[in-house]
Amino acid sequence: MPEKKYATDYTAFDQMVISAARMIKNTDTVYVGVGLPMQAGVLAKNYHASNCTIIIENGIVRASLFPIPRATDTLGSQSYAEQLSGLFYVNCLAQAGYITTGFMGGGQIDRHGNVNDTAVGDYRNPIHRWPGSGGGNDVMSFCGRTIVILEQSKRRFLEKVDFNTCPGYFDGKPGRREEAGLPPNTGPVAVITDLAIYSFEDREMTLRSVHAGCGVTLQKVKDELSWDVRIAKDLKDTEPPTEEEMRVYQEKIVAARPSFTIQPPGGRPPGPPAAR
Amino acid sequence: MSSKVMTMSEAISKNVKSGDLLFIGGAQHGSPSAAVHEIVRQKIDHLTIIALLANTGLLVSEGLVDTVLTGYYQLDEKRSYQLQRARALGKFPRFVEYSHFGIAQALQAGYMGVPFMPTRSQIGSDMLKYNENIISIDDPFGTGKIGLVKAVVPDVGILHVQRCDAEGNAQRWGTLGVDHEGINASKKIIITTEKIVDGDVIRRDPNRTIISGFRVNAVVEQPFGAYPVHLAGCYNDGPGAIGMMTSEEAYNAYMQAAVWGVKDWNEYLENLKKVNGPDFLDKIKIQNPAKSDPVITGI
Repeated sequence: MPEKKYATDYTAFDQMVISAARMIKNTDTVYVGVGLPMQAGVLAKNYHASNCTIIIENGIVRASLFPIPRATDTLGSQSYAEQLSGLFYVNCLAQAGYITTGFMGGGQIDRHGNVNDTAVGDYRNPIHRWPGSGGGNDVMSFCGRTIVILEQSKRRFLEKVDFNTCPGYFDGKPGRREEAGLPPNTGPVAVITDLAIYSFEDREMTLRSVHAGCGVTLQKVKDELSWDVRIAKDLKDTEPPTEEEMRVYQEKIVAARPSFTIQPPGGRPPGPPAAR
Repeated sequence: MSSKVMTMSEAISKNVKSGDLLFIGGAQHGSPSAAVHEIVRQKIDHLTIIALLANTGLLVSEGLVDTVLTGYYQLDEKRSYQLQRARALGKFPRFVEYSHFGIAQALQAGYMGVPFMPTRSQIGSDMLKYNENIISIDDPFGTGKIGLVKAVVPDVGILHVQRCDAEGNAQRWGTLGVDHEGINASKKIIITTEKIVDGDVIRRDPNRTIISGFRVNAVVEQPFGAYPVHLAGCYNDGPGAIGMMTSEEAYNAYMQAAVWGVKDWNEYLENLKKVNGPDFLDKIKIQNPAKSDPVITGI
């Protein structure tokens, strides 16, 4: 195996998307939400996990490549899909246990992986409102392993979320998900931020690696958390992006980002995506 | 001509009443934009709407909505002129929040004619504290806790489709969001369609029919009826599909152009062509149609 050549020119944001993409295996069926999860999913599909199946909640089941969509449902993400159905259908797949991996964002997350997509402060008189669950609760409730990707700040990483939109491990005691009636062998397995990567040990968010390659320090990671985080015994530096990962990321994700805000009329590229 | 075929104005005035519970189809895809604008034009109020990622914001900003059953809605008032306007009118709606699957299941239960659907979604979340339509019980078959989502039976369902015959046999393709569950759950049904086709076209590919004519009350032929939202096989997103109307000035200009200053959607579309060039709508039509092999039926 040739020695990996690591990129030197990348940002913490790039590291976040690329680290998230690495969580997707070639054999996975991945339920991806809007935004960063979609970017990570499309990157994985274009790089190391070309055989993974991507599920988009409006009813899209895709094993073939597609250009990164502005939101989730576009003519580009629909065209040449293996299956177009509806939201009920894809969530039945998830609820019945056929989706291995969930990829979602979030407004706030807490020590035990509970995600708030609803309100900061009191629900009836909130300091801030997010749009609500969308498919987030469904992803976190159903998928075999759920990965949460969001930018880290002290305001968003809390001991306990203000509103539990998407339950992780509740208060962290064993068996809480099963007690609530959630399917067995589900729940968050990783949190990927622009500072660090976390896993869950005994249902508690645990720092695994710090994005040291782009100048992030352990102190910076701790400064942007609201609790005294558990740290893995073998804490590492996050593996930086390789040059090849960065090349594909630049081409397929970064170059495509302007289309999030400007949709060129008739913008779908010609021909079946897989044939290009 | 079938008595079901009518103008948008007639279809809305005959079928949508103040106080109705409306299902609006087209989650992120092929929303019935023209129909929603006609409801605004007729100022039909005290509505409850159930919709998933469809363009219903104008109904809220015009103060026509009492309750929104939703899974995802821009609720940050600081960033939503439409919510600010509803607040100023004293018509800020009540939002009842589900997950997306919760909305789909509420409609599925309505479609099935049963009072609720069991679910493993939403249970354990704080949504149950504020949404009385979702509860958690002990599974009577002994598997532990299970959630129940109460059925929703809309008074009126509105769906935009690619093609439909004069009897209301409607065919829609591309992503379906909650269209199948929502339209089949609805008591009265309005179909708006890019094109009214001969029944023979429908009958050669009957698996594609999302709702049968006997269930449909009104059929409206409305080209570009989903604009500025994309519609599979027809057209791409138009400019302004996202992020529009962030100020009072932009909002009023839009409302004048799309609702108050025109008699109907066709006049609005004609005006768009006058402003942006005669080929404005042609430019968003799909450029590279992908045709499948024909589905073979027959004897």
